Amino acid sequence: MNWLQFSSTSLSAAFFLYLFATVFYMVTLAGKKWSKGDPKQHEARWGKIAFVTSTLGLIAHLLFFFTRWIGSGQIPTSNMYEFVTLLGMTIMIAYTIIFFIYKKALLGMFALPLAIIVIAYASVFPSEVQPLIPALQSNWLKIHVTMAALGEAFFAVGFAAGLMYLLRVIDFKDTSKNGKRAQRWLEFTLISIMIVIGFIIAAFGFKGMGYTATFQQENASVSQVGEITTTTSTVEYTMPPIFKPYNSEAVEVQSFLGIQDGLLETPSWFNGVNSGRKLNTVVWSIIVGLLLYGIVRLIIRKPLGAAIHPALEGIDPDDLDEISYRAIVIGFPVFTLGALIFAMIWAEKAWGRFWGWDPKEVWALVTWLYYSAYLHFRLSRGWHGKPSAWLSVIGFVIVLFTLVGVNLLIAGLHSYAGVN
Amino acid sequence: MLLPVNTKCECGHQNAVGTVLCEACGKPLEKELLESNEPLEMRYDGVARRSQKANPDLLDKIWNFFSSVKIAIYMIVLTFIGAMLGTIYPQASSFLSNTFDPSVYYPETYGLPGKIYYFLGLHNTYSSWWFIALLVMIGTSLVICSIDRVLPLYRALNKQQIRKHMSFLKRQKATYSAPLAGDAVEWTTQYGQALRKKGYKVTIDETGTALLAEKNRFSRWGPYINHIGLILVLLVLLARSIPGWNVDQYVSIADGDTVPIADTNYYAKSEGFKVELYDNEELPEELQNSGRVKSYKTDIVLYECTENCHDDFERPALTEVHRHTILVNSPLRYKELKLHQFDFNLTPRINAVSPMIVNLETGESYGPFHLTMVEPELNYEAGPYKLELIGKYMDFSINSQGEPITLSNNPNAPAFIFNIKGPGLADNGEVYMYFPLEKDKVRFSQDVINRELSKKIAIKVEGMENVDYSAATTYLNIRIDKAAKYLWVGAFFCMLGLTMGTYWQHRRIWLRIDDGQLTLGAHTNKNWYGLRADVAFALKRCGIELDPKSLDNGGHKG
Repeated sequence: MNWLQFSSTSLSAAFFLYLFATVFYMVTLAGKKWSKGDPKQHEARWGKIAFVTSTLGLIAHLLFFFTRWIGSGQIPTSNMYEFVTLLGMTIMIAYTIIFFIYKKALLGMFALPLAIIVIAYASVFPSEVQPLIPALQSNWLKIHVTMAALGEAFFAVGFAAGLMYLLRVIDFKDTSKNGKRAQRWLEFTLISIMIVIGFIIAAFGFKGMGYTATFQQENASVSQVGEITTTTSTVEYTMPPIFKPYNSEAVEVQSFLGIQDGLLETPSWFNGVNSGRKLNTVVWSIIVGLLLYGIVRLIIRKPLGAAIHPALEGIDPDDLDEISYRAIVIGFPVFTLGALIFAMIWAEKAWGRFWGWDPKEVWALVTWLYYSAYLHFRLSRGWHGKPSAWLSVIGFVIVLFTLVGVNLLIAGLHSYAGVN
Repeated sequence: MLLPVNTKCECGHQNAVGTVLCEACGKPLEKELLESNEPLEMRYDGVARRSQKANPDLLDKIWNFFSSVKIAIYMIVLTFIGAMLGTIYPQASSFLSNTFDPSVYYPETYGLPGKIYYFLGLHNTYSSWWFIALLVMIGTSLVICSIDRVLPLYRALNKQQIRKHMSFLKRQKATYSAPLAGDAVEWTTQYGQALRKKGYKVTIDETGTALLAEKNRFSRWGPYINHIGLILVLLVLLARSIPGWNVDQYVSIADGDTVPIADTNYYAKSEGFKVELYDNEELPEELQNSGRVKSYKTDIVLYECTENCHDDFERPALTEVHRHTILVNSPLRYKELKLHQFDFNLTPRINAVSPMIVNLETGESYGPFHLTMVEPELNYEAGPYKLELIGKYMDFSINSQGEPITLSNNPNAPAFIFNIKGPGLADNGEVYMYFPLEKDKVRFSQDVINRELSKKIAIKVEGMENVDYSAATTYLNIRIDKAAKYLWVGAFFCMLGLTMGTYWQHRRIWLRIDDGQLTLGAHTNKNWYGLRADVAFALKRCGIELDPKSLDNGGHKG
């Protein structure tokens, strides 16, 4: 077995250990009500088991990271697969640090599933080691990407605790206008998470079926000297084309539920790399996510939030509020250093300017400004509890957009990190 | 706001107008606040900010506007929303072409939304007046907010009274009270000892029954140091618009050429540009033969001009000052000048040829003679032939009127017109047109142009060794950024302040014992969890065991 094989085995091990740890956290919580023994003792025992399992998972994950580094001779942070697995790992690191501060094991109930979803998302991307293109051949790749990911991971843990807080405190019996609105938004948040899971299911499902479709796309572009050139390119789809590429002809489309050609055409203003394929993927994710949500609703026969709410009743909401805030406070300087300052140093070296209003740079700045607004709201305007929790949820959406959305929708200097 | 007229506290301390909690004993000064039972708002220790004046004039009002954190938050929110809008479509500045016309580009590429985008000026978001104004306002707010708070806070923390008012202690978010048996002075000392172990600085007043324990006060200055750093960063951003502070130009250098670098005294010579691709053994299966690039590099020699600089007639005297192999992540740096690899062109460029002149009737050839593209000689001799250069076109073409023209000064399609004298030719010479590049000979039908002469003589290059050409052209980005070094200073202070303010917390614990009754209050700006643990730890050392959470007075604000 060589380093790289060992590395990918380690990642699988980490993935399953995280899954087991999540189950153990559920046992910790559920058992508090049902266990015949002393609930406190039960929580302490199972909480410990769950934490040990999740730590073993993190160790396996770290093994994955370092053996891949040794095996490939370059830090595994250079493409989407490597970056997203890194993000999963940093989320676990952040969770572990927060655990050592607060010793609140139950945060793992939400932090671990988040890490699991992130790793599952990573495995949608091609996992081969790709030698570095010239732009990435720099020591700053190691420092900038890992620090930025760690900062974002703390925001992710802040989000997990914030979401838990909302699920804990939002009263599902409240029929007032405000109460209803809070319930609707919380449900919307949960549906959004379902859509992410929907994406992973769709990606693996169609991959398993070996689905492909091919289109010939004609692109017109205006060169720097103003000449218009037309090029044709082949676009490969791995999901049935609900949206085919802009200005394209079907070459070969496997039939799926009678879809022979793209049903619709991608609008021209989606201007990222392979925008048609990405839009199609998003649409499929929404469809599968909503289907999944529908099935769950049919089984539990009430809003998802209302089903989770009672399970969290034993948890002190103040603790969740504080953990959410603290995670963000800890992450903020790390993010500032990794995603802005180190990014500026590297940009100064590679492109000659420390700041150039590239979309990825702008969105890192937006994230930073957003969280600085969050901190000021909290400190000076006294936004605690629910408003603060909502801000942590919205903040994570901005983080995700910066990480994935920018590459998906906007062309720019960071678009080398191809998104499926 | 209704301000209390008498600002003198019962403890005898004279407070400034706008003070919420007495600076000395901490007693709430406003009547409403005094009567309520809610935990106290401890922001800035309840001192009056500079902006809280009884009768503000215009300047005060402006000061008040910028000193408001609420306004600052609005400005931050507006800035990030504005920044988001700027990423919807590419910014006009990302197009390098001179012919780029945003008024055409946006509507044509994006339709109506593009038209609106252009109309709103969002194609230049980050250099628009409103965006810059927001940045300037945030900068102003950073300065004023900080001054407004840091001085009163500094004063308040520097002259803290140890014995606090009862309602101040009882209304802290972490508080505890209990009857004590035993000696009050001894208990206080013991409690102080326990807190010293936790790194607190403990002071006990002269009666021995009131205590103040304080830790990490320096973390309170974190936000202000951070703000100083941010102000520097903003100033750097604005300083880049000072002429000459931010040079951003491009230069193309063909292999072997030496070219001046615009606006400077430097010249750069390219000793060759190379693209290196990964071998298939280095690539995973799906990238085989994909032409993945391993490196772009240009060997550059930098010269400084010492004489005849910017002289149209004399050759400049150059002295070599620096040499560097430029890679994408390794620019040439010399003093403030930086040269970055930006782009390249692998189209070869012809520099000179050494052709032979052939007498087609006898088959004899003479020469070679050396013909350069740039500044060629006017007269050549090759055996019995004498050539006089009477015209040249570097980028030959025929315009719509059928006249010969040159499209550019680059030798893309060079053509030379000679007047040739020699055996079998007219006495005053015959005109011959010569295209050094084979493809141009065919494209422009050299033989047709030269008519009968093309049967008598030919000018020919024999073998590639007689052609001097540049294989590639490198494009470099010339940068001078005089503000950058200050940016790193700003970034350093920004991080220093952030670290101080977030990873350490200012914790204070006050207690007093009156007639065997202990009253304790504690405050921190962050991490109540840790503070309560400290209070409980020290209580345990004094024989009182309790759940730290029970110290929470309902406020419990992170």
